[in-house]
Amino acid sequence: MRIRIIETWSWFVVLAGVLATSVSTQPLAAQDELPGVSLGLVYANTYLPALAVQPFVGGFGGDMIASRVEAIVGRDLRNSDQFEVIDSLPDAMVGSQVDYPLWDRLGAVWLVTGEIEVSGDGYMLTIELHDVVYREVRDRGRFRLPSQDDDDFRMSVHRISDEIVRWATGAPGMAASRIAFTMVGNDGNKEVYVIDSDGEDLRQVTDYNSLTESPTWSPDGSRIAIASYKTGVPRIYEVDRFGNELSALPAVRGAGDYVTPAYHPDGSTIAFSVFGSNSQSGIFTYDLAQNCCLSFLSGGPWYDVSPTYSPDGRWLAFNTLRFGDAVPQVMMMPAEGGSAETLSPYEYGGGGFYAAPDWSPNGDLVAFHGRIDRRGRYHILVINLDDGGRVLRQLTSEGNNEAPSWAPDGRHLVFAGERSWGFGLMVVDVTTGRLRSLLGGRRVDLPDWSPVLPPT
Amino acid sequence: MIVRRFFITVFAATLLVGACGGDPPPPPPPPQADQDSLQRYNDSVAAAEAERRAEAERLAAERAAEAERQRAVRAARASLEEMVFFDYDMSDIRDDAEATLRAKVDILRASPQVQVRIEGHADERGSTEYNMALGNRRAEAIRQFLVGFGLAENRFEIVSFGEGRPLQQGSTESDWARNRRGQFVITAGADAINPSN
Repeated sequence: MRIRIIETWSWFVVLAGVLATSVSTQPLAAQDELPGVSLGLVYANTYLPALAVQPFVGGFGGDMIASRVEAIVGRDLRNSDQFEVIDSLPDAMVGSQVDYPLWDRLGAVWLVTGEIEVSGDGYMLTIELHDVVYREVRDRGRFRLPSQDDDDFRMSVHRISDEIVRWATGAPGMAASRIAFTMVGNDGNKEVYVIDSDGEDLRQVTDYNSLTESPTWSPDGSRIAIASYKTGVPRIYEVDRFGNELSALPAVRGAGDYVTPAYHPDGSTIAFSVFGSNSQSGIFTYDLAQNCCLSFLSGGPWYDVSPTYSPDGRWLAFNTLRFGDAVPQVMMMPAEGGSAETLSPYEYGGGGFYAAPDWSPNGDLVAFHGRIDRRGRYHILVINLDDGGRVLRQLTSEGNNEAPSWAPDGRHLVFAGERSWGFGLMVVDVTTGRLRSLLGGRRVDLPDWSPVLPPT
Repeated sequence: MIVRRFFITVFAATLLVGACGGDPPPPPPPPQADQDSLQRYNDSVAAAEAERRAEAERLAAERAAEAERQRAVRAARASLEEMVFFDYDMSDIRDDAEATLRAKVDILRASPQVQVRIEGHADERGSTEYNMALGNRRAEAIRQFLVGFGLAENRFEIVSFGEGRPLQQGSTESDWARNRRGQFVITAGADAINPSN
């Protein structure tokens, strides 16, 4: 068993410190032997350039919101895990002119400046990205922001943050996105909620006073498919993020449980599982927009569940009980059905519990969770399809961690974590291993990260 | 004492003499016919009384039988609704569950109108979506067990609640053991439950 542990950069003072501690106190050699599989916390020794945000300047009425916008942008850039963000300096120290030698002395490689003024009902924000080393403006943009009480205000600021990430790295950001998930209320019911990628603006979506499961975003971010027990048996519906019901999947296979919807990248085909219909279970697809075209992909006496499409729509990864009770495995098959191959490291007659796959938007990685050590803990795992499979990376090392979902940047995963202090939504950066808590202390589950959300 | 008894005797004799003093009145005719009707009357009263008593006894017995039947129906219903439990991550019918399910088979055979929804549940561990599959496998295992005794499959519908409806809220081994279960809801024929034998 090959184990590589690379300590993350020491200047990830808080988060990486926690991670590194847990890595060193938990001997990975105690984990189960998985033939042909390398299992361990492997993070690249990534260099992150330092980035500073100069306090945003407000002119012509823009001073009212300058610090609020600056705070959102600063946090988004920190959450991108592409930079080592230097804490803001007091206005008095920096003034309104860019002082490259000062930022250079502070170690900054990038500097973001912003200027806001009132424009019509909203604002105009001018952002500049400075290359401190070369003492020049690398990129500049002017962005319209709606008024502060507009529903799209925060998301508009997040879009600017993603633009700054793209300027500096060429990679897509994920700030302009939301996460849908389930949360258990005091009455024991489960409803769907959404929260912004930065952990703000928590909103309830469904209000069925029932069990609601498996929220999943449509590829354009305008709809959320769910499985609801509101009629007593689970059925699949589409709602918008305000909970308005848009469509209902008919019981096209007769009686049975209809669960775990997943959108095809075409946006109208939904893959889902049916259990217990004429003693037959399986994964089916149905075109919700055309209201037609039921297709049977896999199944029979076994149970296939939790389908997830590859971004090109040609493949489906899913969870299956076809090897029997207690040994669920992750498999993949062609999107139109056909022979499936096992992605998780199952050996016939052996054990192993792997579940809840999610295919990365970059197409190369599939994340899922697995029972790793003998104490029955669940951890987030990632398998790289380009490696021919079989090499698992373990991304968490503490508590229980389930149901990962990829961010649109293909780099972050949100998952349901359980720690000694309770349950919460957590985000891990697959590249650096940095971990942050998105929403703590609630009984949350089954998060699904939206695509980048276009202006409304 | 003797003196006193003497006086009483004399006094009684005096009364007797006085009574026999005049012509004796003719004795009333013997009520022959009336004697019969009285007898019949008395007999009929007795018969009615007996009948009433028998009726009351019959009613009491009937009430007792009905109460007994109701009790048996309640017991049968409780037996139909009795939960069964599963081992961790498994959908096999355990031995103790087999006995519970056999009792249901007998009642369901005697009560052809009764239909049942079988609900499968899982404990909180593992994957939430996998647990929905596991709950359905448990419900299906129960249905197949019952159908294996010749009961019609269409008398049972199944539904999985996964880990969503725990019986107990805690996270101990004993909470989990209670939450890994099959539950039974009578969906039709609840007033036509016949206790077996």
